[in-house]
Amino acid sequence: MSKRKIGTLVFLAPAVVLVTVFVYMFLAQSIHMSFTNLRFGRVATWIGLGNYIRMFTRDAAFQTSLLNTLKLTAVFIGLTIPLGLFLAILLDLGVKAKGLFRTIFLIPLSFSFVASSVMWVWAFLPETGTINTILRAIGLSSLAQPWISSGSQSLLSVALVYIWQFSGFATLVYYTGISSVDPAIIEAAGIDGASTWRKYWHIVIPQLKPATVTVLILTLMYSLKCFDLVWMMTGGGPGYSSEVLATFMYKVTFSQSKFGYGASIGVVLLLLSVVVVAAFMIYMKRGERD
Amino acid sequence: MTDSPIRFRASRVAVYALLILMTVLYLLPLYGLINTSFKTSEDIANGPIAPASSLYLGAYKAAASSLGRPLLNSAIVVVGATLFSTILGAMAGYVFSKFRFRGSEILFFLVILGFYLPYQAILIPLVRFMGTIHLFNTYFGLILTHTAYGVPITTLLFRNYYATIPNELLESASVDGCSFFSAFRRIMLPLSLPGFAVVGIFQFANVWNDYLFGLTLTQGVNAQPVTVAVANLRGTMTAVWNVQMAGAFLSSLPIILIYIFLLKLVVKGLLMGSVKG
Repeated sequence: MSKRKIGTLVFLAPAVVLVTVFVYMFLAQSIHMSFTNLRFGRVATWIGLGNYIRMFTRDAAFQTSLLNTLKLTAVFIGLTIPLGLFLAILLDLGVKAKGLFRTIFLIPLSFSFVASSVMWVWAFLPETGTINTILRAIGLSSLAQPWISSGSQSLLSVALVYIWQFSGFATLVYYTGISSVDPAIIEAAGIDGASTWRKYWHIVIPQLKPATVTVLILTLMYSLKCFDLVWMMTGGGPGYSSEVLATFMYKVTFSQSKFGYGASIGVVLLLLSVVVVAAFMIYMKRGERD
Repeated sequence: MTDSPIRFRASRVAVYALLILMTVLYLLPLYGLINTSFKTSEDIANGPIAPASSLYLGAYKAAASSLGRPLLNSAIVVVGATLFSTILGAMAGYVFSKFRFRGSEILFFLVILGFYLPYQAILIPLVRFMGTIHLFNTYFGLILTHTAYGVPITTLLFRNYYATIPNELLESASVDGCSFFSAFRRIMLPLSLPGFAVVGIFQFANVWNDYLFGLTLTQGVNAQPVTVAVANLRGTMTAVWNVQMAGAFLSSLPIILIYIFLLKLVVKGLLMGSVKG
């Protein structure tokens, strides 16, 4: 073997072996397990699609979790993207101390979900929490909410924390995108007397598609994976009102010891991610051909 | 790029007012965190907005007594996992960007797909595997896990980083008789130092902030990372908000400091991680 071949092998082997075992072998085991009724301390029997049939026909908690996962994703992304874009445009309007504002908007991203849930649970407390206290102080007591303690608001409250943590990232990506728009194009439009907002709307924003795709894929993956925040803030409750697939999988697996069923919920999450990644890849391939 | 040349017409006051309002909203939870952590329990009764009436450190003492060992655990695991995943990613990224072979594109794709993996889909086999090889509840088990799931993103980051280093540099080196290894050591490694800083910081923050693996792969305080310990404070210190806040703040401090003092590198990592694979 040439030195080059040996080198290639030596340099790739550790990464490839680790990924093969920790990603692909474990995935295969999970998928296999999902076709069984494996439980703690019992012998597993092959039950085919039994787990999948059960979750979609008889398990209301699973269906709520799936729906909540999609809802959380929709709210999170639906608000993070416009907010990130809006803040990026504000920063682009020639303000002073841009760097400082950008840092401030990024700071929430530095916290672990555990730390941010501690501060947000406190902020959301109905009686003594920061948000309701401020609302009452400025005469808006009618706007005070039960937040995470209410079944109808718990999921939205978690989404709010997500938006707080990630919108600075969206701002960063959009701001970088806006900065790389060719000034000549904007200059040319300026001659026609286009207003500031119309320039953004007609010239800058259409050029930000790659930035949007970037933000979209990362926020999508994070919201599908979402475990820490929900687990820490609401534990999925009250009831199942904020239960998502990741927390439901954890409960089924580690509290109820139903490994086969837990694995099948993990596989559903995997399939959702596959759809997202495939859509992303197809978009990228199309971009390369154009 | 500096300012975009769009002439500024919107009301300057409105723009600053909006930015300041957003700043207040973004920092409000942080204010609650730091302010409450310095309050006595009597002081907390004055409401969440009132500033701490004195610089009470009791909550920090209480939090530190239960977070001491977990902080050490986190530090050990994070340093190990960051080192390994960064080095392995640099090696793989070097080959994927400079020594393509038949099927290398597909192999690269299969490696970086791991970045998009929802961990619930591998959680049960992972926990069982760690039990089988006797690495459950050990530093090395956590380091191995974080390294394995870090490698996809570090490989992607380094491949993109090495793509910006011209091939001519390597070609001229091989004319000079540099082999695969010495070309890596003598040419790529010195040029990689900024890359190592960026990717290392990216991984450091990711591993430090992990909760799920710490929760499922440790038991008791032996190898427990600080995120799990802070989460446990919620159970043992219910309604003792100053201790909870002090714990959350202590556990966040390393990454906040990195964000403040090394922001340029953090931003580079965030943007590099988001470019296409």
